[in-house]
Amino acid sequence: MFPQFGATADTLSKASTIMFRIGTDAHLYDDPEDVNIAPLLDSKFDSEKCEALKRLLALIAQGFDVSNFFPQVVKNVASHSLEVKKLVYLYLLHYAQKRPNEALLSINSFQKDLGDTNPLVRAWALRTMAGIRLHAIAPLVLVAVGKCARDPSVYVRKCAATALPKLHDLRLEELSSTIEEIVGTLLTDNSPAVVGAAAAAFSSVCPNNYSLIGKNYKRLCTILPDVEEWGQIVLIGILLRYAIARHGLVRESMMFHLHSKEHSSSENDDSDVHSAVGKVGIDPSKKYDSELASMISRCYIEGPDDYLSRSSYSNRVSLAFSGAKFTSCKNNEDVKILLQCTSPLFWSNNSAVVLAAAGVHWIMAPRDNIQRLVKPLLFLLRSSRSSNYVVLCNIQVFAKAMPYLFASHFENFFILSTDSYQTKALKLEILCTISTDSSIASILKEFQDYIRDPDRKFAADAVAAIGLCALQLPKMASTCLEGLLALTRQDSFTSDVRTSEEEAGVLVQAIMSIKMIIKQDPPRHEKVIVQLVRNLDSIKVPAARAIIIWMVGEYSKVGEIIPNMLLTVLKYIAWSFASESSETKLQTLNTVAKVLSNSRGENLETLQKIARYVLELAECDMNYVVRGRGCFFRKLLSCHLGSKKLEDEVITSPENEGLLNVLSEHMFHEQAFQQSPIPINYRVYLPGSLSQIVLHAAPGYEPLPKPCTILHDADTEADLSEQDGSGSFTGSLDEESGSYNGSDHSVTSGGNTESGSSNEDENIQDPLIQISDESHLLPAASADLEELMSKRDLETWLDDQPSLPNSSIHKESKVPRSARISIKDIEKRVRPKTYELLDPANGNGMKVDYTFSSDVSNISPHVVTIQATFKNCSIETILNIVLKHEDSTTKPSDCSESSSQDDVPALVPMQEITSLEPGQATAETIHVRFHHHLLPLKLVIYFNGKSFPVKLRPDIGYFVKPLPMDVEVFRDKESHLPGMFECTRSCIFKGHVDDLNKEKGDHTFSKDKFLVVCESIVLTMLSNANLFLVSVDMPIAAKHDDASGLCLRFSSEILSNSVPCLITVTAEGICSEPLNVAVKVNCEETVFGLNLLNRIVNFLS
Amino acid sequence: MLQCIFLLSDSGEVMLEKQLTGNRVDRSICVWFWDQLLSHGDSFKQQPVIASPTHYLFQVVREGITFLACTQVEMPPLMAIEFLCRVADVLSDYLEGLNEDVIKDNFIIVYELLDEMMDNGHPLTTEPNILREMIAPPNIVSKMLSVVTGNSSNVSETLPGATSSCVPWRTTDIKYANNEVYVDLVEEMDAIINRDGILVKCEVFGEVQVNSHITGVPDLALSFVNPSVLDDVRFHPCVRYRPWESYQILSFVPPDGQFKLMSYRVRKLKSIPLYVKPQITSDGGSSRISVMVGIRNDPGKAIDSISVQFQLPSCVSSTDLTANHGVVNVLSNKTCIWSIDRIPKDRAPLLSGTLLLENGLDRLHVFPTFQVGFRVQGVALSGLQIDKLELKVIPNRLYKGFRALTRGGQYEVRS
Repeated sequence: MFPQFGATADTLSKASTIMFRIGTDAHLYDDPEDVNIAPLLDSKFDSEKCEALKRLLALIAQGFDVSNFFPQVVKNVASHSLEVKKLVYLYLLHYAQKRPNEALLSINSFQKDLGDTNPLVRAWALRTMAGIRLHAIAPLVLVAVGKCARDPSVYVRKCAATALPKLHDLRLEELSSTIEEIVGTLLTDNSPAVVGAAAAAFSSVCPNNYSLIGKNYKRLCTILPDVEEWGQIVLIGILLRYAIARHGLVRESMMFHLHSKEHSSSENDDSDVHSAVGKVGIDPSKKYDSELASMISRCYIEGPDDYLSRSSYSNRVSLAFSGAKFTSCKNNEDVKILLQCTSPLFWSNNSAVVLAAAGVHWIMAPRDNIQRLVKPLLFLLRSSRSSNYVVLCNIQVFAKAMPYLFASHFENFFILSTDSYQTKALKLEILCTISTDSSIASILKEFQDYIRDPDRKFAADAVAAIGLCALQLPKMASTCLEGLLALTRQDSFTSDVRTSEEEAGVLVQAIMSIKMIIKQDPPRHEKVIVQLVRNLDSIKVPAARAIIIWMVGEYSKVGEIIPNMLLTVLKYIAWSFASESSETKLQTLNTVAKVLSNSRGENLETLQKIARYVLELAECDMNYVVRGRGCFFRKLLSCHLGSKKLEDEVITSPENEGLLNVLSEHMFHEQAFQQSPIPINYRVYLPGSLSQIVLHAAPGYEPLPKPCTILHDADTEADLSEQDGSGSFTGSLDEESGSYNGSDHSVTSGGNTESGSSNEDENIQDPLIQISDESHLLPAASADLEELMSKRDLETWLDDQPSLPNSSIHKESKVPRSARISIKDIEKRVRPKTYELLDPANGNGMKVDYTFSSDVSNISPHVVTIQATFKNCSIETILNIVLKHEDSTTKPSDCSESSSQDDVPALVPMQEITSLEPGQATAETIHVRFHHHLLPLKLVIYFNGKSFPVKLRPDIGYFVKPLPMDVEVFRDKESHLPGMFECTRSCIFKGHVDDLNKEKGDHTFSKDKFLVVCESIVLTMLSNANLFLVSVDMPIAAKHDDASGLCLRFSSEILSNSVPCLITVTAEGICSEPLNVAVKVNCEETVFGLNLLNRIVNFLS
Repeated sequence: MLQCIFLLSDSGEVMLEKQLTGNRVDRSICVWFWDQLLSHGDSFKQQPVIASPTHYLFQVVREGITFLACTQVEMPPLMAIEFLCRVADVLSDYLEGLNEDVIKDNFIIVYELLDEMMDNGHPLTTEPNILREMIAPPNIVSKMLSVVTGNSSNVSETLPGATSSCVPWRTTDIKYANNEVYVDLVEEMDAIINRDGILVKCEVFGEVQVNSHITGVPDLALSFVNPSVLDDVRFHPCVRYRPWESYQILSFVPPDGQFKLMSYRVRKLKSIPLYVKPQITSDGGSSRISVMVGIRNDPGKAIDSISVQFQLPSCVSSTDLTANHGVVNVLSNKTCIWSIDRIPKDRAPLLSGTLLLENGLDRLHVFPTFQVGFRVQGVALSGLQIDKLELKVIPNRLYKGFRALTRGGQYEVRS
């Protein structure tokens, strides 16, 4: 009817979108460079300047570098238009650090703006001025911040608070005290908004300066509900830390539980209180896992890494915080007020605030009041999908320690189809933990629903969860078993049609759960085993079959029915042996062997027949593992098999036979092996922390302060003892000076090897070289090994006559019979590099060389030992040689005191060499404390009354000392240092090529190529850094020449703080060519690790 | 402390980066992130906290836009997530929706907002009402003005008065000719009905939304008839805690305009308005499905916008679904949406049809979950009722309005 409308509808919609974009900055983003930007910046119209700046911002947004416009942009900072200012500020903040000199041009304008009457202008100027982070103007900024901290406008004061961390980031020592002072003033501000920002500044500037908090603690608590939400999050954490450092833990809280148990005998009054609480309260002692709760509380205070690592010394418990003091929230006002003021925060709209408040109550609130945090936490689950996961992670820990808290709220953890997989898995785990006798029926019902979920991975998890629930509540075991059995009979698994991998996963999980439940009480569940065995014919998944067959062997004597049907079952599995997968075949072999060795007379002949049949089949199997297992069992069971012919084959002496009997007895007979209680090793971090989500300590994570570490009247120097470990590279350690002074008895002795080696020669049982087979299968590899390596090669690998080398690098060589690279060779060849300190041409004929020594210093474990050689190359005698600090003329001669205070590198004074004849050389050991400084140390050599300035270049490779450990420990430590603590670089290693070529020339004794490569790498590493060689993994590859997979592990610890530093070198490529070497350093001190890595890569390539 | 915020489009393009601290974060982290996303798929997309080799990442996805924040140090993860959610809220409020184009078109505003919302990695001003005064949202008038005059500034010349007052969420000098305040109860009902048709969980999450246009600094007090039904509550910062603790009265000075005064939760409800009865039978490579929908407990008002949505199992190769009422849509990702709207008087809506299974599969062994959506206007199904709204100083003319609405939330029926 109206064709013209139809035709224009399309254009209309186009037009409307154009209309919609009119007046926006769309064209600037789409095509920022369609005009020349530079002239626009110089325009006298604000609108044109704006356009130019917007174009620049568009380019920044898109990731282009437009810093070349910097000078022109900076000019515009003086503009009066606020919009231009704002845009200039945005640009400036992005590039100022790149163009520090030009950025200085803007300072005048900022100074002017700081005096503006408009608070917005003042605030922006301050924010930008601090934000451009230039060292040169830091004092100016500090003055400005100090001024703005007293500004009448709240907004400006708030910006002053946020400017403080920016200043602090510049790490200017001389400013720090003023910064802290300003933080203190802002914390006492009247406006809650300023206090919030000041709290944020406090936590990043001086988180351990509790005296600032102590002065205002009560006021801060009462103001807390009025602080803006983001400030609340930080302030809650600060107040919690203060309360613990000041008053210790609360006696009635979750944190106290274990402590009271341990010390009940010694502290009677404590235990009285505790038992009273136990009676009055809701009988908590029974309902929650005390071991877990104690572990959690320890983790909070010590950090899980410290705590768990200590566990290896098996005195986890005795080393408890015996010094910890406790307080009661009933009579401690400070604790009471903190709990009171955080409880309204449970109603906050901000989920982070709620979680932070819940954390305080979790740690500080009395156990019978802890219930309060449950509902708010559960409410958080509805806030947003992303926060959902984080909240669940925290609830998981709470629920593990105190399942009864959440027991009645189980419906909240029912799974929705829209949940992500991670959320589903977490909810399942929580449901398992909190299930009780009353709720288990509904929970199991839910689990049954989940099994039919389209997400099969999740369905398998649900099956596993059913098993866990049954373990937890033994009453339900039979119900659970029935459900699981029904599942295995489901025709989706048993039908002949191929089942997908995920379906198979569900079935295998079901059978594993059944196995787990049966293990608890085998005789009771005999019928279940029978049913499973009956189903064997219809279950097709190999892994599932393998488990069932294993159960037949394991429980072959349980009950009455199984022994009766055993023979039939064995016949059946023997019959189907040929068609099984290798996994099932192995289990079949195991089962047959077990039954045979357990059998006493009855049906022995049939059993032997079956066993021989199966073994024969196994020995002809395609898979070499099955073959190997078959051979092994044949020899082991030779006496049980009972065939004459066999005995002839196997040459067995009588005592040998007896041995075999005992062996098989031990292997196959049921042992009532005690399950040692598995120590709980969860890593737990403070509630609401990032570390708790990623499950490793994120940089900057700090556990709670040690309880009662600040004295009641100490407001000023309380923080000193807690400032280490802040991750700063040149951290000073107070205890250093103590050990330094205490051991100055042998300052100058040269040969000091015995001190270090005597106590460190622990038996290291693991072989140094591990031969790793690529298929990771156990013993059968020896044959293959011989094919690859000639006998002679092996002999060179396994040095038969260990002589005791006395170099400290190779302490491990004292262990007899451990395989290693021919160490004698290497240790002769380890030649630390020699550097020149003083050149005879410049030094009046005096020549001084130095070598970093790997010896442990006898003065203090933190100093680096350097071997210096003084040689007189002149024709005259040189007198009174001494090496000193450049400025030591002014310093007192005993610089140990001063050096421990400031972290400048310090030289331990060296004994004077009275005279040196022409041509004579003498070696001296000098000790230097570098404090991780990598800059050359300026020293002066005095002799003959003259002074010669010299520079000593530190080598980071010697800031560490060898840390002997075995591979297991190494692996374990390595797994604790993932992610951010790990850095990797690769380089090309050529050192071995020359060696190989040399070998070629001389045929009399040609070594294995791998060996040469290994030696060469080890040599390079040990000559350049003070490390301990932990292990060498050799690849057994198909190709002779392929070095890929060669892996060397070195360990060391940092001298100054004993933080372990693990180095792994992995090679790839062909032996005879330059190798691609990947070096990985795992170290908690990331900066140190990175520097070390760079050094290693440097000398390797 | 956040170091950087990236805004990524749904194709992985970095639309915007805002560096927040001195430690610059290189864009390559986004490349890493997107590579992981492509290789790990959905499970990665739903992971809010990610430990990358160099940084910890927080992600919030809203309408296809990924908000990615990076940090290298310990900080409360919920703080980062909550902040990103606020950014997303503010942006979608400013730009009237979120999509790639609208962000690119208004990138200057996004920059200005981010700069104002966060300083040195710590949130600065996040209250939407204050932000609106500092940075004007783009609207038709300003757009037209900028076209006509070629000049527009959306940056306010003065600091909003609220930043210095003791009620930082409200500007002091507001004048209205007509004083109005509207209070809406908006509820979402969550329910799980298990395979046997039993209601295992039913609860309501509600919000009290207030839209106030009142002169001066009004002090309001809102009370409920039956506050005891509330299981747990969360408040806007403007609500005073003390009166609620003692008398269950919401006493507050409202921000100007629309805001969420309170959210609440009512647990253990027993009656649901709708029933959905799915039946699935399998036989010989195909399944018959029938879904019946009807009213179980009449809430007294009309139920509309009824829809049933479910995900077909991956082993279904084709479908043939028909409904005697409403429209059935099967999307390419095997999501089936059946929009019913209102239930007709004469017959119960029924969806029926066959699902053809993949070759070789005899019967269905995984079953879909049905998500039900609906809307009831005029009733709060939790039973919560507003008693009265009082004003301490009553302006000469005040109009008060109350409304209620219930929607289906996470309303799931398993089969």
